[in-house]
Amino acid sequence: MSIIKAEGIYKTYNETHVPVNALNGVDLQIEQGEFTAIVGPSGSGKTTLLNIIGGLDLPSKGNIFIEQTNLKDLSSKQLIDFRLHHIGFVFQAYNLIPVLTAKENTEFIMVLQKRPKKEREEKVKELLEAVGIGDKANHRPGQLSGGQQQRVAVARALASQPKYIIADEPTANLDSKSTHELLDLMADMNKKYQTTFIFATHDQRVMDKARRIVTLDDGKITSDETFDR
Amino acid sequence: MLAAIAWRNVWRNRRRTLIAAASVFTAMVLSLFMLSMKQGSLYQMIAAGVNQVGNLQIHDTGYWENKSLDRAFFEHGQFNPVFKSIPEITRVVPHLQTFSLASYGKQTKGIVISGIDPRLEDQQSGLSRKIIDGHYLSGRDEVLIGELMATYLKMNVGDSIVLLGQGYRGITAYGIYKVAGIFNLPSREMNSNLLYMGLKDAQDFVYPYEKGLLTGYSIYLKDGTQEMPIKKQLEKQLGKKYEIISWRTILSDMLQTISVGKISNQVFVLILYLIAAFGIFSTVLMMTIEKRKEYAIMIALGMQRGRLVWVSVVETIIVSIVGVLAALTVMVPLLTYMHFHPVQVSGEMAKIYVLYNLEPIMPFLASPELFLSQAAIILGLSFFSAVYPILYILKFNVLNAYRH
Ligand SMILES: Nc1ncnc2c1ncn2[C@@H]1O[C@H](COP(=O)(O)OP(=O)(O)OP(=O)(O)O)[C@@H](O)[C@H]1O
Ligand SMILES: [Mg+2]
Repeated sequence: MSIIKAEGIYKTYNETHVPVNALNGVDLQIEQGEFTAIVGPSGSGKTTLLNIIGGLDLPSKGNIFIEQTNLKDLSSKQLIDFRLHHIGFVFQAYNLIPVLTAKENTEFIMVLQKRPKKEREEKVKELLEAVGIGDKANHRPGQLSGGQQQRVAVARALASQPKYIIADEPTANLDSKSTHELLDLMADMNKKYQTTFIFATHDQRVMDKARRIVTLDDGKITSDETFDR
Repeated sequence: MLAAIAWRNVWRNRRRTLIAAASVFTAMVLSLFMLSMKQGSLYQMIAAGVNQVGNLQIHDTGYWENKSLDRAFFEHGQFNPVFKSIPEITRVVPHLQTFSLASYGKQTKGIVISGIDPRLEDQQSGLSRKIIDGHYLSGRDEVLIGELMATYLKMNVGDSIVLLGQGYRGITAYGIYKVAGIFNLPSREMNSNLLYMGLKDAQDFVYPYEKGLLTGYSIYLKDGTQEMPIKKQLEKQLGKKYEIISWRTILSDMLQTISVGKISNQVFVLILYLIAAFGIFSTVLMMTIEKRKEYAIMIALGMQRGRLVWVSVVETIIVSIVGVLAALTVMVPLLTYMHFHPVQVSGEMAKIYVLYNLEPIMPFLASPELFLSQAAIILGLSFFSAVYPILYILKFNVLNAYRH
């Protein structure tokens, strides 16, 4: 069974003033373990779709199921809790809490999830090693490079043991070396932990790594290809 | 971890936090100084008043309404067991007060005679120290008069004063007494109208046929004793024949004056605190605005808005606590020092003090209640300052905050 099932998704912004139809009937299913890129020109609706899949926004029309749960049925508080327990996020920027160290940032969601201290510490140690930040665990975000910060964000997303991780242009602010490293890292993590990744990107290098590429244009899916990598 | 976030957020912009804390500090220092001074003098006035009249007074029922000798009563030792049974009573001072005419040579004047127990009265009010000429009451048929009365009647120590008045049960009271001493009390009225004589002389003067006539007792209680239970107890034991009047009734005019002053103090303090609250508010406002992206991320990640509110409130409270602690660090020692080393008052102010029967010093009150209450008010107000971030956090749109 798919972990994500989007059915007939429409999204209209500014419904009261000048309406913008960002999504015009999107149907999409994502399976456990996918490493999928959503691509398309600027303004095609990538961010809008990821926000809806990530439970950050609701569609104007259509349904989005995460396994059995229709996100429309959740109250705003339940939606926050749903994100906490089931969805991981890597944003384009401002990912980390500036006053917390790399270690604390990684631990943060597990604290919200009320996981026991011992488990948290073990998990944080393992993940920071895995993303290559083990030696900088006590650095604050301001003391880390952009690439290192994104690695911490990936570690944090994995720490919450989500059903899937969405990442909206996670490499947009990175140079090509860091971009490669982050992509390799996400691909490794995808293999190692069987965690599903869905990311939006403009970046050809990102697309080259993806095993499935969904192309959006003008709020519609225009192609959906899978690759064996 | 949430507490750590709050604590570190506060120190992210150290200078701004310190400015906000400084506004709290200033408001609290000023208000503590003012309240300490006002409450100190209030306390001084009340203490002086109570020292004069007693915590409670016992009269024949109706005397308080109509202070006539007809409402005097006889004391034949019936009160002693009652007084003894109440351990909170530290002193009982009997009085016999009446009005009379006083004359010497060609001068005549209406006066108040206060019959006192010379030893008890001196212990209570230190009357013997107010004698400026002659000596304190030492034997029978002696009286003390005020300085202004002596001037008016053109009398000196050793002269004989003639008193003529209405006695108890309609008899005529008449007597000649030697002026043993001339006193100077802080109040002009007392200096010109008051005459002290020994209780026994006063009793003989108004009613020579039976001993023990009194118009009332002043009852003094241990410091910090609640008056009402003692009043009830006395009422129960003495019955309806006697009325027990609290100093609050006796000094009600004074209390009224004081309470008017209190309200205007509170308005001033309120203004100070609003300024402090505004200082906190603007800081918290800036903290909220500049952190909206972080807030958006935290909520996106799955943090409930309520917990974020908690973080924000803690931040606000930390800012104000810094100011409060700084103010207390300065003001507790300062006001405690001033409490024990009061400022001397001079000039016109000193006269006002004298009018109220007060020593011309400016005492400061330094009570834990004062410090705690002000700290509590500031903290309460800082909760108010947190209302904006609370509303913001509960309402804002996560995606918009992240995008802009
Ligand atoms: N909050 C919003 N209010 C109004 N219009 C919006 C809002 N967010 C997005 N849009 C509009 O919806 C359309 C889709 O935007 P979206 O951000 O999803 O595109 P995108 O594919 O992510 O673009 P990019 O590659 O530039 O990030 C655009 O026309 C955009 O202007
Ligand atoms: Mg986008």
